Order: sequence, then structure tokens, then C-alpha cells
Amino acid sequence: MILLSALVAGLLTGLVWARWSGNPYQTPELRHFWLVFVAFLPQLIVVYLPITRENFPNWLVAACLLASQIMLFGFAWFNRRISGMPILICGIALNLAVMMANSGFMPISPQTASRLIPEERLLDIQPGSRLGPKDILLHPQDTRFEWLADRFLPPSWFPYQVAFSLGDVLIAIGAFWMLAKPGSPIQFTNRGTQT
Amino acid sequence: MKNKLALLALSAQKINRQHVQLVFVLISLALLLLGTGAPLAEGGVGR
Repeated sequence: MILLSALVAGLLTGLVWARWSGNPYQTPELRHFWLVFVAFLPQLIVVYLPITRENFPNWLVAACLLASQIMLFGFAWFNRRISGMPILICGIALNLAVMMANSGFMPISPQTASRLIPEERLLDIQPGSRLGPKDILLHPQDTRFEWLADRFLPPSWFPYQVAFSLGDVLIAIGAFWMLAKPGSPIQFTNRGTQT
Repeated sequence: MKNKLALLALSAQKINRQHVQLVFVLISLALLLLGTGAPLAEGGVGR
């Protein structure tokens, strides 16, 4: 949700900026659309679809996650010339690196997780167990590349609590930038026609 | 009249193509973000 809000914020900023500057809004010209749909499919099945996600062992989920992310990295790489995409690629690479180094899942420490889960429930979860769709509960000393893990949290007064990684931050910035300051030649005029 | 209709049809075609392209871009980026990001939210710890 936090990443999708970066997408919405980027689009709104781009539209407002285009209107304010009197220039038409330019949609980023992404190539190889098919790849993103194909790449997301394994994740959809093993992580997101409630009907299917319970039926897969963790090793298969991890393999699907990594394969999916590598394909998504490929999609981003094919579109690397679009503004914002280089930042997004860095974020993908960081998340991919930390997940590959930690059994295919994103590590999160019990201390960080305690802000998201009630203490008594967290005590029932053993270190090394999966947590949420893509995370794994690991002590910092057992985590490889701990600085790339889900270790950042918003202030405690913030109503929406979420743990995120450095890679997530870069992905959000890249997506925001891509839609806020796109550079493709498709143009909308006031009448909605192409120029 | 015929010319106006043709122009209208052409404009509608262009608007549709542009809108469809924007929708495709947004869906693709949404999937890219969901697929590559790994934040863990309060409500997401349900499994």
C-alpha cells in the first residue's frame, strides 16, 4: 500500500505540474509490457491469491519470489532510460540482494516486528518463520545484509504502521519520479487530443 | 457533418489509445512495485 501511494502521489504531482506549467502531461513510455505480467504471475499464485498461497512449501515460495523478482528486474532494465527507473532499479537490486542472501525472503527483526504484531502473538512465532507475504523473522545477528532488511518504521504516532527497507524507499522514489516527471512524447492537450 | 463525425471518431480513437496506454503504464508500475517491494504492514501479518 505504501508503494502504491508513491505511484498515486507521483501521478498527481505530474498532472498538477503539467497543468500549472501549461504543458501537456506526458505518460512514461514503457516497453515490454508483457514481461511485467508474466513476471508477476508466480507471485500472484504463491503469495497473493488466498486460494492458492497456502498450498506451497516455503522453498517453492522463495524460488518463485526470486524468479519473479529477477524477471521484474529485467523489465526495469529494458526500460532503464525512463526517468526515475535507474533509482527504481537500484531499489530492486537491494531488495533482491538481501532476499537472495536470506533464504529468498525479506528479513525482519523481532524488535521491528513488535511494532506491527502484538507481543503475545510474536512470542509464538519462531525465528526463521515466515511473517506476512514476503518476510521472515530473523534476529539481526542471524541476518545477512541486515542494513538492507525491513528495519525502518514510521513514527509511532503515525496511524499506518509499516516496516520497510532501503530498497523499498528507492523503489518508491523511483516510481514517484517516473510519474511526476515523465519524458515520453505522448501529449494531452486541453481538449484531450494528441498533439 | 460527415467530416465532423470522422474527426470526432478520430479524436475518440486517439483519446482511447492514450488512456489505454496510461492505464497499462499504471497497472504495469503497480505490479512492478508490488512484485519488487517488500514492506510489511500491520494488516499484512495475517498468515
